[in-house]
Amino acid sequence: MSESRIHGIVLSGVGGQGVLSLAQILLEALRRSGLHALQSEIHGMSQRGGSVHAQVCYSKVPLTSPILDEGGADLLIALEPLEALRYVSMLRMDGHLAVSEEPQMDMAGYPPLDDVYAALKAVRGAHLVDTEDLARRLNHRQAAGMALLGMASRFLPIEDGVWREVIAQRFEAKGARVTEKNLEAFEAGRGLIHDPVGA
Amino acid sequence: MIQSTLALGVEAVGCAAFDAGIKGAFGYPGTPSTEGFEAVELLIHGARDGRVAQWAANEKVAYDLALGLSYTGHRALVTMKHVGLNVAMDAFANSALTGVRGGLVLLVADDPGMHSSQNEQDSRRLAEFAWLPCLEPSTVQECYDFTFRAFELSEALQVPVMLRIVTRLAHCRAALTRRATQTPTSLGLAPEATIQDWVLIPSNARRRYVDLLDKQPRLMAETTPLNRLVPGTVRRGVALAGMGRAYFGQLLHENPGLSALPRLEIAAYPVDPALEQAFLGQVDEVLVFEEDYPVLEDRLGLRGTAAVRGRLDGTLPRTGELSPRLLKKALGLEPPTGKAAISLELPVRAPRFCDGCGHVDAYGAVQQALANVGAGDARVFGDIGCYTLAAQEPMAAIHAVVEMGASISMAVGAALAGQTPAVAVIGDSTFGHSGLPALLTAADAGVNVTVVILDNRVVGMTGQQPSQALDQVERMVRGMGIAEDQLQVLLPVPKQHEANVAAMEAALRHPGPSVVVFRRECIQSIRRGVLKEHDREEKARQEMACCGTEVRP
Repeated sequence: MSESRIHGIVLSGVGGQGVLSLAQILLEALRRSGLHALQSEIHGMSQRGGSVHAQVCYSKVPLTSPILDEGGADLLIALEPLEALRYVSMLRMDGHLAVSEEPQMDMAGYPPLDDVYAALKAVRGAHLVDTEDLARRLNHRQAAGMALLGMASRFLPIEDGVWREVIAQRFEAKGARVTEKNLEAFEAGRGLIHDPVGA
Repeated sequence: MIQSTLALGVEAVGCAAFDAGIKGAFGYPGTPSTEGFEAVELLIHGARDGRVAQWAANEKVAYDLALGLSYTGHRALVTMKHVGLNVAMDAFANSALTGVRGGLVLLVADDPGMHSSQNEQDSRRLAEFAWLPCLEPSTVQECYDFTFRAFELSEALQVPVMLRIVTRLAHCRAALTRRATQTPTSLGLAPEATIQDWVLIPSNARRRYVDLLDKQPRLMAETTPLNRLVPGTVRRGVALAGMGRAYFGQLLHENPGLSALPRLEIAAYPVDPALEQAFLGQVDEVLVFEEDYPVLEDRLGLRGTAAVRGRLDGTLPRTGELSPRLLKKALGLEPPTGKAAISLELPVRAPRFCDGCGHVDAYGAVQQALANVGAGDARVFGDIGCYTLAAQEPMAAIHAVVEMGASISMAVGAALAGQTPAVAVIGDSTFGHSGLPALLTAADAGVNVTVVILDNRVVGMTGQQPSQALDQVERMVRGMGIAEDQLQVLLPVPKQHEANVAAMEAALRHPGPSVVVFRRECIQSIRRGVLKEHDREEKARQEMACCGTEVRP
């Protein structure tokens, strides 16, 4: 990674999908990797089923700005395909996207799904995953977030051990089984990206 | 114990207040200030050392609680959002005259860009208006450090101190290093000789106002060390405050050439005119980066010695938030070239009522009843809360939303103009906040107004905090003078729709004031079990009371 510039991750989804808790896991993992890191989020009305987005900035130099410039993000993690499209222009030319194909269509005017997928697939660096299918295969209803994080991990300067530590800590209170299922989803997502470019 | 932890900016203020040894924290929920109170509440409840954390019925009450606690010689924190300070303004402005005993810090969270607010007013102007100091941090760590500073300042100058943050900082999460926690100590009651300082009858108030004005130079001397003039090598400078300071600091890392620009970095108000003068002596042109109102921009512009650029001359947008992009543009820096935006049209995903929310059933009954009495086109006055979402299409059930409690008084005003039936829709917590006096006036006016209270038993929108009106709404309504037979309590569920419509119709047809309470707990609150303990205790209490008073012939 760069010695002086801010790196950044944009996370997006729909209220209730867990965007903010993914952002917090990322923040903690980056911090434990010895980097300066900040997270920005917007609360309030957005949590009532509206669009939610968060940003995580990280850098080798101290950070004071919690938000990224358009075209300044390295990575976009989206829990919903339409919510991914909104933030594509936040990405650098060489940026990557980890996107769930599972739509949340309970809103007015949702574009035809095929158009949404086509638009996403046309973006260089887009990695789509059928999280619904993945969740079924892993027998883990809420696998999507962790799987996307696993995909994203291939592009981030965070060691495997740190990920395991942070995820385990996050789910500690919910018991060993929940922790195992989440680590499993993370690994499954990680396995989906074979040859990360620019990691 | 020194701890390093992750915290939101607004939480850092709460942590600092705890660590600085406050005896009490008070507040009223409001985004983006809420988590500040919640952070200190968590610490206080964990400490079990006699400190108190108490939500108040509204911001004015919260402020007066803090002032009363300060009167006893203890440190107090009071938290609110920017528009909440309007509600507390009477207390805030007058506490400048009484002064404080124990340190009193007001955390006020402004919302530039109106992420979840009805305006983007700038609290720095209100601090200036009240002749009180205001500190403005720009990072999470500064939120913490400045809170300590604010308590010291408050006690040194014997005035309340405002700590102003904005949404981006309030909801920025970063590493925070905490200091050792101080045990609350008390300075004791003010000496008897100073009792009259607190009695703001005109003769004392005139004297105290002069005292406050006389204090201004000392106040400036105390705030000046937080402000900084960094010389440069060119005649074009920047004046920075709050997030403007944060964003510029970041750009400086990536563009070392920017260090040629002289910088005026402001973190505390009032600003010493000598410092401004010194800065202006070094520049012919100034770019001002500050959130909300053009406060520094106005001051620097008035001197007329340099071309001042910012929100007033179109260099920056007149409204809305600052962003790194806006700074870059104003500074003439090349923005990064990123991926192209998607050409597909992306409709907004608006927030909406949760599935199964009782408000939806209540609005359904209100709209049907209005149609049934031939007033389907009636204008309905709404209020502030989750239920404000009903203003959106396709529901479009409310037609005015202004500020906390306005629904009832506006409906009465409309009714007095002959516009009936006049309907107000207000939540239980908002009713307790500002609806009570309005209902008192409604009962006195005797006009045909129907007040619909949507009682979900919590402060729903801000995260299901306890509502002060919990289990009390009927008593409050009766207490304000609403006749017993004009108060109905309904259960907003689909099964009750017909009955609810009929009851609502009766209320609309009544020529005088009437109140309809739709009561069903917020489904988020049920999911989280927020009131489980309360309801269990209440049930046990009722059973006990019932057994105790049972009389057999």
